[in-house]
Amino acid sequence: MALSIKEFKFRLIETIPLILLFFISLNGSSIIDLKFFSVNVHYILIYYWVLRQPLTLGYGFIFLSGIITDVVLGFPIGANALSLLIVAGVAAYVRVVTVRIKLINDWVSFIPALLLANLVYFFSLSFSEYSIDYLYLFYNSIFTFAFYPIFWVAFSILLNFMRS
Amino acid sequence: MDTSREDVGIAIRSAFLKRGTQQRFSLVVLIVFSVALLFLETVETKPLNYIRSFIKDTIYRGSLIVSSPSNGIKNIYNTTKDHFNLYSDYRQIKNENNKLKNQISESSYLILENTQLRKLIDEQTASPSNLVSSRVMLDNQSPYLNSFIINSGSNRKIKNGMAVLDGKNFVGRTVDVNFFSSRVLLVSDLNSKIPVIIEPSGHHAILSGHGKNKPTLEYLPENHTIKNGDKIYTSGKEGIFSPGLPIGEVIIDDQVRVSLFSDLSQITFINIYLGDSNINK
Repeated sequence: MALSIKEFKFRLIETIPLILLFFISLNGSSIIDLKFFSVNVHYILIYYWVLRQPLTLGYGFIFLSGIITDVVLGFPIGANALSLLIVAGVAAYVRVVTVRIKLINDWVSFIPALLLANLVYFFSLSFSEYSIDYLYLFYNSIFTFAFYPIFWVAFSILLNFMRS
Repeated sequence: MDTSREDVGIAIRSAFLKRGTQQRFSLVVLIVFSVALLFLETVETKPLNYIRSFIKDTIYRGSLIVSSPSNGIKNIYNTTKDHFNLYSDYRQIKNENNKLKNQISESSYLILENTQLRKLIDEQTASPSNLVSSRVMLDNQSPYLNSFIINSGSNRKIKNGMAVLDGKNFVGRTVDVNFFSSRVLLVSDLNSKIPVIIEPSGHHAILSGHGKNKPTLEYLPENHTIKNGDKIYTSGKEGIFSPGLPIGEVIIDDQVRVSLFSDLSQITFINIYLGDSNINK
């Protein structure tokens, strides 16, 4: 049965987070790296959508996106996929245990997600004998945490739009 | 107390083990699969390498298509920047040209002398016939890994560990060769350690990448006589690369840094020296 234009628009808007997920993976831009700060958009995107609208981003897609990021950025296959799944796992756990949707709740619970994901990332790269700048990784985590509310607002607008 | 512990257990089970509505995979299964993939990365067998090459080639092509709009914007930005810098570049090039004119007579004598000496020691020199030209396919600037993808792989006899040149300047080595694409690890990357020789002092050292910053010279002798402007070449030690490939010149501040001859962010075409693959032998 053919889709109506309205339905098509709805489906398209609904897939925006998914498109964004694969775009940043394929484009190798999971980290916005500017002069004074760098933010891991990949983590924020996955954390927010798994927490707020879990049906939008399936775990399979997150895994695939991690594999693509690993290949594009030249890391051992599985390293990014694993850390992204950890972020998704923490988000899924927080979703189960929280009732009220508040920015502050999401923001604070993002800390263990970041810590766990980066710990896993660190171990998987150490295991594969890859050297990266761990100080940079630390700064990146701090700025990713700091910038979370901005993305939270942007994604909330999109989510409200999807729901409406 | 017991109830709260049970609650946590139920929440974890619900988050990690259950598939949930419309989720095709449970998180734990995918996490285990990712760990298995990480282990498989360390296994080197022919069928696995073929599968890896195929997956990587496919993803690189997809990435090339997705990156084309951002690459287009980047090109426009670079072109505009070049136009704005036209006058200052012209002044700089004019000064360099004057200096080079003065050095021509000196260098032609040195080339002649060098050729004669190389003949004497029967050393193999890089000939254009064992160079393969290739185009930079993907240059996704990662803050963690300084590398790019080129559009040649084992189909053009490229192997891991071959020297990659921008013109005649050494810029990195091949690290991940697929059928139709390869990854080039640049000298500025944290994982890059290149044995070099410094001229005119003749000291040997290791050129070590530091990510964004300029690479530094490590393992220099204690009483070295290196000064600003000294030239750095590959030493050919350990037989990894041919000796005498130019890399950059010395800048001394708090550390002994190297200003590369090539601007790594502006490379479009590269040459791969096929005679250098000793790492995989």
